[in-house]
Amino acid sequence: MNLNLSGRGYAGVIVKLDLSSGRVEKVALSQRDALMVLGGKGLGSLLLYNSVRRGVDPLSRENPLILATGPLTGTLAPSSCRFSIVTKSPHTGLFLDSNCGGFFGVELKKAGFDAVMITGKASQLSIVVIDNGDVYVEDAKWLMGLKTMEAEKKVKDRLGEEFRVLTIGPAGEELVPIAGIFTDQRCAGRGGAGAVMGSKNLKSIAVRGEKPITVYDPDGFKKACWRAHRRIRMHEVTARSLPIYGTVNIIETINEAGALPTKNFKTGVFQDTWKISGYEWRRELWKKDKACFGCPIACSKLAFTSDYIVDGPDYETLWALGPLCGVSDKEAIVYANWLCDAYGVDTISTGVIVSFVMELYERKILKSEDLDEVNAKWGSSEALLKLVEKICKGDGVGKELRLGVKKLSIKYGYEDIAMHVKGLEMPGYEPRASKGMGLGYATSDRGACHLRAYTADKELLAYGGAVDPVKVDGKAKLVVDYQNEKALIDSTGICFFASFALSFREIGEMLATATGLPLDEADTLRTIGERVYNLTRLFNVREGVRRRDDCLPRRLLEEAMPEGPAKGSVVELDKMLNEYYVLRGWDENGVPKSETIKRLNLDLIISLED
Amino acid sequence: MSFGKLVRLSRIIDPSDGRSLVVAADHGLMLGPIKGVVDLEATLRKVIAGGPDAILVSLGQARKLSHLFAGRGAPAMLVRVDWTNAFRDKTYTLPARSIQFNKVATVKEAVKVGASGVVTYLFLGFDGESDHIAMVEEFSSECKTWSMPLIIEPLPMGPRVTKANYVDMVRRAVEKAVELGADALKVPYTGDPYSFKDVVKAASDVPVLVLGGYKALSIRDSLEVISEVLDAGAVGVVFGRNVVQDPNPDEVVRLMRRIIHEKETVTDILREKIKPPVKILVDVERCSGCRICELACSFSHEKVFNPSLARLRVKVSEDGKTFTPYVCNLCYSCVNACPNEALRVNSRTGAVEVSPELCQGCGICVDSCPVKVLKLINGRLLLCDLCNGLPECVKWCSRNALRVEGGW
Repeated sequence: MNLNLSGRGYAGVIVKLDLSSGRVEKVALSQRDALMVLGGKGLGSLLLYNSVRRGVDPLSRENPLILATGPLTGTLAPSSCRFSIVTKSPHTGLFLDSNCGGFFGVELKKAGFDAVMITGKASQLSIVVIDNGDVYVEDAKWLMGLKTMEAEKKVKDRLGEEFRVLTIGPAGEELVPIAGIFTDQRCAGRGGAGAVMGSKNLKSIAVRGEKPITVYDPDGFKKACWRAHRRIRMHEVTARSLPIYGTVNIIETINEAGALPTKNFKTGVFQDTWKISGYEWRRELWKKDKACFGCPIACSKLAFTSDYIVDGPDYETLWALGPLCGVSDKEAIVYANWLCDAYGVDTISTGVIVSFVMELYERKILKSEDLDEVNAKWGSSEALLKLVEKICKGDGVGKELRLGVKKLSIKYGYEDIAMHVKGLEMPGYEPRASKGMGLGYATSDRGACHLRAYTADKELLAYGGAVDPVKVDGKAKLVVDYQNEKALIDSTGICFFASFALSFREIGEMLATATGLPLDEADTLRTIGERVYNLTRLFNVREGVRRRDDCLPRRLLEEAMPEGPAKGSVVELDKMLNEYYVLRGWDENGVPKSETIKRLNLDLIISLED
Repeated sequence: MSFGKLVRLSRIIDPSDGRSLVVAADHGLMLGPIKGVVDLEATLRKVIAGGPDAILVSLGQARKLSHLFAGRGAPAMLVRVDWTNAFRDKTYTLPARSIQFNKVATVKEAVKVGASGVVTYLFLGFDGESDHIAMVEEFSSECKTWSMPLIIEPLPMGPRVTKANYVDMVRRAVEKAVELGADALKVPYTGDPYSFKDVVKAASDVPVLVLGGYKALSIRDSLEVISEVLDAGAVGVVFGRNVVQDPNPDEVVRLMRRIIHEKETVTDILREKIKPPVKILVDVERCSGCRICELACSFSHEKVFNPSLARLRVKVSEDGKTFTPYVCNLCYSCVNACPNEALRVNSRTGAVEVSPELCQGCGICVDSCPVKVLKLINGRLLLCDLCNGLPECVKWCSRNALRVEGGW
């Protein structure tokens, strides 16, 4: 039996667009796939796995750009704005999903689609318009070279204010591997999805929808949603910390735990953190709280300056363009944030690149003449801004820097201090001071990512009970649990931050009443999360990923943390990794065993041949 | 149960209706000098004015404030006998790096200060479980010796607690607490009445009180939770921050009593507070542009999610700096403009109503609306009916950008 999923939280339709031929194909979302992988990240991963062969060039016509919503996207479920961008990453050459908020995903579902899959390449710079079920391609030469906010505005001016617009900046057009995709001042930043869009000659995707989203059991769903909202209104993180200080609320705590990576991960302690605390931002630059669609938390903070508005900085951006480079100058950080947003690059990768360059400069391996006369000293906000601008615009040495630290370290050597995993630059939690985060980076499906297993909440912030951050005992289990949970959350359409206050039972209640499918049991959801995480692993394994790739830079494995609460610590990765593979049901080389694949019924939805 | 325990427990749980309202004020010990407990005596005087059944304090405060618990009609005293660092989150200089716990009072000392019960945690999900259980067991046997009711607070805590197993862990922790000899339980709400019924069942007739936790956005939220858990079988609550951090703790206690002991509903209480005409007030500064109000409105009236069917709208300014909610402001321009007298004012709520048989669908009212919240869709007029006096948009707004005059 195959139910029509339309009217059950889902739109029920996936649209496939081939830009080369202009062909549009609409297929029904199957009940089996919905039960197996739900939507969002799960659905995107399934579509990606089944549509490409091993070794496909991420910037080729074959690589699909997939935008997928979840069954809760666009409903009254808290923070129901999320959708996932899934593709093969040009930065890592591996699986990539980037979960994004704003208003775009909701509009996509209202236009009648759960997911869009775009392949091929347009003959010239184009825009895809999705207008209430109609999908067509328009020429967009008039958008060439525009900054993200300019492009978004121009598209709206032309098509209508109600349209929601995804767009890339100049960096995406230039196929920069750290280019992101932007919408409503929010960003699917990591891993270079912007370059994939650019490779398709696609500047923007605009969507407008008027179709109402309906659910299976409206009364039950409304009650379940209200209970979830009430939970969020009664939880410290979602009712106080995030609404007031955004994600920056944690920066001082992270620093005091010795886990704030500073000066390219030389240390985990930054002396000037107090200058850039949430309190200081709120006092000086942040003038407005801004929410994504359907979000009771509103973690975005708008900084108003005389020339521009920046949505941010959030914790990661602040850290990458601040402490990581030794910088504590708020005006410089906020301008660097604006530059990255405008030209369309990932702030985390940009910051890690700048800090890598600064360390090589301080060690006199790079001289200012190598850097177009920039004196890349630690803490120099002038150097930060010059280098960020070069990366954004591809000026001079920026052309090379924007390729990422992995490529730079291959050229200059010093791979031990190139802070990346699988090519993706590392985010803002020091693995030597939070071992679970270290294992999480090493085993994350898209390269170094803090959001695949956010163990920092127990290791550093002590929400729901503390775990000794420096010990490795039990960390493998923690990381496995968290990765599975996060994969589930990213497949529902609600935001990870909302899930801070919710148990799977509460999420299950919303899913079951919305879809009418048996999704209420916590264990069912946990299994879906585990299935999705194994699915992305299988994608990477098909591309050749093995144990040797689940690694961390040598600095973290061999150089003892010089100061702070984690003083003397290094990451005992092998020990954790052995335990992790056993818990995962993967062999000692990191490949999912056939019994694991069978247990999760993955063999029913994917073909395991190359 | 021993006579001493029975007598003491009857001061905590009212024997006439089997229900209980306990106010927790032991935060200083675990959380530090948070709002509401700095001048504890002043706060507790207000709390007591509202008439709680019992108040939970630390031994130190019990000694200092013994006079508040003396005399006829005074609340019963509960004493916290253990301490933990587990709640020392990032609000403090350094969060806990592992869970520590300790006895900080003996049951004998609690007897000496006149306590009617003692309270201890029971954590499940961390490495120190066996030592923790040994501590609770010691309290349990001391309580037997002194005929002192033992109230155990079973909580999932630590690395082995996940989103997936949380509800199950609560149930297991409750079972353990019962095994260890709890005379009453202080339990976290699992978030939905269905799973909570299982938790109550796991308590096998040991009375279940529900803890409050972090202060809710609005008193309405905490009253609703209380109402819900009572329906699911709890006998009452132990609420702390939701009471002591409110500007009017006496009023909060009175309202909670009405739910717990008078068995009134939240809707009853709200309807009494809100006097017609029901006016929705807008605070533009607080609006974050999330559109939850539009979603709630569209779903409540049409059972679908579509902000364009909402009876209110949020406008983003050209520069992106402000979000302005526009709601029906009861100006009645539409009523006056209607050539067919199809619109009239509901005398109970003040909302505008349409008589479908008189309405010609001409749209003159839509043009007359100064805030543009009237819509004519396929000949049907969509207008704000104030949700019969309790507007959904206000209820769902998490930022108090929308409020009702007189309501929360």
